[in-house]
Amino acid sequence: MFNFKLVRRYLGKHLVRSLLTVASLMVALFLLCLLQAIVVSLDAGVRGAKRDRLIVQSAVSLFVDLPLNYQQKIGAVDGVESICKWQYFGGHFQDDEKGYFAQFATDFDTLFACYPEIEVVEGSKEALLADRTACIVGKSLADRLGWKLGDSIPLEATFFAKPDGSAWDFKLAATYRPTSTAMDGGMMFFRWDYLEETVKATRGETPGTGTYVFRTRAGADQAPIAATVEALFENGPQRVSCSTEAAFQAQFVSMYGNLPFFVSAIGGGVLVAIVLACINTMLMAFREQLHDAGILKAVGFTDGSVATLMLAQSLVLCGIGGFAGIGLAKLTEPVMQLMLTRFGVPYEVPAETVALASALTISIGLVAGVVPAWRARQLRVVEALRSVE
Amino acid sequence: MLIPLSYTLRSLFVRKSATLLTVFGIGATVAVLAGVLALRAGFTSLFSSSGRDDIAVFIRQGASSEGESGITRETCDRIIKTLPQIAREGGPEGTPLAAMECYLAVRRQKADGSGETNVPLRGVQPASFAIQGDALRIIAGRKLTPGSDEVIVGQKLVDRIANSRLDDVVQVNTTPFRVVGVFACDGPSESEIWGDVERMMAALERPVANRVVAQLALDCQGDAFAAFAKQLTESADYKELLVMAKTERVYLAEMAGPLGTTLWYVSAVLSVIMGLAAIFTATNTMLSAVASRTHEIGILLSIGFRPLPIFLSFLFEALLLGLVGGAVGCLMALPVNGIETGTTNFATFTEVAFAFRVTPEVLWSAIRFALILGLLGGAIPAWKAARLAPTEALRRR
Repeated sequence: MFNFKLVRRYLGKHLVRSLLTVASLMVALFLLCLLQAIVVSLDAGVRGAKRDRLIVQSAVSLFVDLPLNYQQKIGAVDGVESICKWQYFGGHFQDDEKGYFAQFATDFDTLFACYPEIEVVEGSKEALLADRTACIVGKSLADRLGWKLGDSIPLEATFFAKPDGSAWDFKLAATYRPTSTAMDGGMMFFRWDYLEETVKATRGETPGTGTYVFRTRAGADQAPIAATVEALFENGPQRVSCSTEAAFQAQFVSMYGNLPFFVSAIGGGVLVAIVLACINTMLMAFREQLHDAGILKAVGFTDGSVATLMLAQSLVLCGIGGFAGIGLAKLTEPVMQLMLTRFGVPYEVPAETVALASALTISIGLVAGVVPAWRARQLRVVEALRSVE
Repeated sequence: MLIPLSYTLRSLFVRKSATLLTVFGIGATVAVLAGVLALRAGFTSLFSSSGRDDIAVFIRQGASSEGESGITRETCDRIIKTLPQIAREGGPEGTPLAAMECYLAVRRQKADGSGETNVPLRGVQPASFAIQGDALRIIAGRKLTPGSDEVIVGQKLVDRIANSRLDDVVQVNTTPFRVVGVFACDGPSESEIWGDVERMMAALERPVANRVVAQLALDCQGDAFAAFAKQLTESADYKELLVMAKTERVYLAEMAGPLGTTLWYVSAVLSVIMGLAAIFTATNTMLSAVASRTHEIGILLSIGFRPLPIFLSFLFEALLLGLVGGAVGCLMALPVNGIETGTTNFATFTEVAFAFRVTPEVLWSAIRFALILGLLGGAIPAWKAARLAPTEALRRR
């Protein structure tokens, strides 16, 4: 004798309370999705890493460069195909708060060979090769900072500061969009020869490069290739470590230390608070409906259907609030993406987060409804009828 | 006439389950906020409490940290030997109390095997120790011998980073350095490895140093230093040095800035979002309190209590809920005090170890937050109670 109309009426009878409960659930589930998505996003680079790419970097430090002649030596190792260099430039764009993004010097032909997921959406690869100061930036970055093709982009250098302190000038020749979510869509790449010649001309030294990235031949066993590369430079001048892209990305994740744990702890606090709030609401509802429950039982509703009525109210209330919160988290995805790009973190609310949040929503509904439902079931008609609200 | 406080207190006790659930709900919210604030307090106090005003840090103009900075040996020499603003040991002709230092974030494995992190490696000169004075204490082993392949490690590293115990070997590129001592000091240096600057620069094949650190002369502190720092970047006399100077206090505060600000934003966003949910809950509780006491309110009104005291009485009840919730939250947050943790400070790109600090300011912020939750949650229900018409209210059961 389950009657959904009764559920609706009871929830509507205390509309303000129902709405407040729904609203607090919405807020809490939104926050939970957000926190969980951030934790998941942290190692998006690890999960999305290409299996056929290996990365060579200094074994000493992220900030130590490798000599240029390493490229040819590594390239000669059996099983190595299309090798490219990435040199972190570390420049600042005018308004640093809003404008932070990573810039790298590279050779475009080898970059595109190593990274098929870089898809040029505006401009062309030819345009990049035509101008020494040409650069390609992520479409999202260009949109955020309002850049158009042909714009001049001045950057204040740090590691590669010119002796007179003047800015480096780049010309926007193309934009890209990554076809994989694991790749940062907000980076800038410019030509290696521009970096090398400018540093030579102004400082009289040849720059090195931070990392070499190479693809291995299809089907090749990577472990011996990596070991061979590391052995090449065992006695210097700069020792290297050669790792898979996943391991390379993992070292950045491990830098966050306990951060993921703290974020989860915050999520736990949110969860406790919201469960208590929902139990509170349902106990209030139970007290008010005590008399009604007696009447229902007196006119022939079974113990089970009266209990179900309580549980259903809890589930409907929590369901509406929880799913609204999950929806809100999904809806605000683009805004959050924009806010988090400056930390270089790709943000999305993945399907597993939605699934987890949905499961939590239903669990909260069950937990909050089970005590009142049980008590409604045990209720003796005479006592219930005697009670006043 | 005001309604006696005992009425409010008893009302809270009568509705035990609702009161408890609300108190713990607010408590959980407050505990989370207090936890984040304690993290921030631990991190920023590490940097802000240790910087000195009589020590100057010279880095390249435009560099935001010593890691980004680069100063040639010649420039370092000129700064150390010629600047009269730098104090000298034993009179005007004595040795300058200034040191050329190199600095690099090196890759190290964590001791617990959970991956790798970046540890600051600093090349120092004997003057570096002289400037620190008694603030830097060797707590195990001995000081490093200048010119040798020896290092000393900050005590925070010993348990966190692999190979940082006495007699361990720290490999720097192709050169092995032996750990001969463990040092303690206030501030972030306790998470660093120190070695001889010449040996470090040789091992790392780095042609330039990163900074000069100097004890300031007595007549070049405070305003005099500010004027000197301005000259350094603007005057033609110093133009070719291309360096800028900051006091150690200012420099360290800048290193704490980005992460400190981020944590502040995190706590602000969390308090708003979680606060909203808590306010809704408190409103629900108080609405139900008003509803169940409608009859009583009618009696109060008819025996002569004015609406204002009734409003205040319910508001006070909500504030009390908030206060107790806040106290519970603070109690829940207290155990994190002193827990050591580490994270990468992206201003220097190195890991720094610090402890949660539940300071009185943190607790006070948490209590204030809880009171605001109570106030905002109680306002509407209290208003509703005060607006009841006596006859209407009395008619309700």
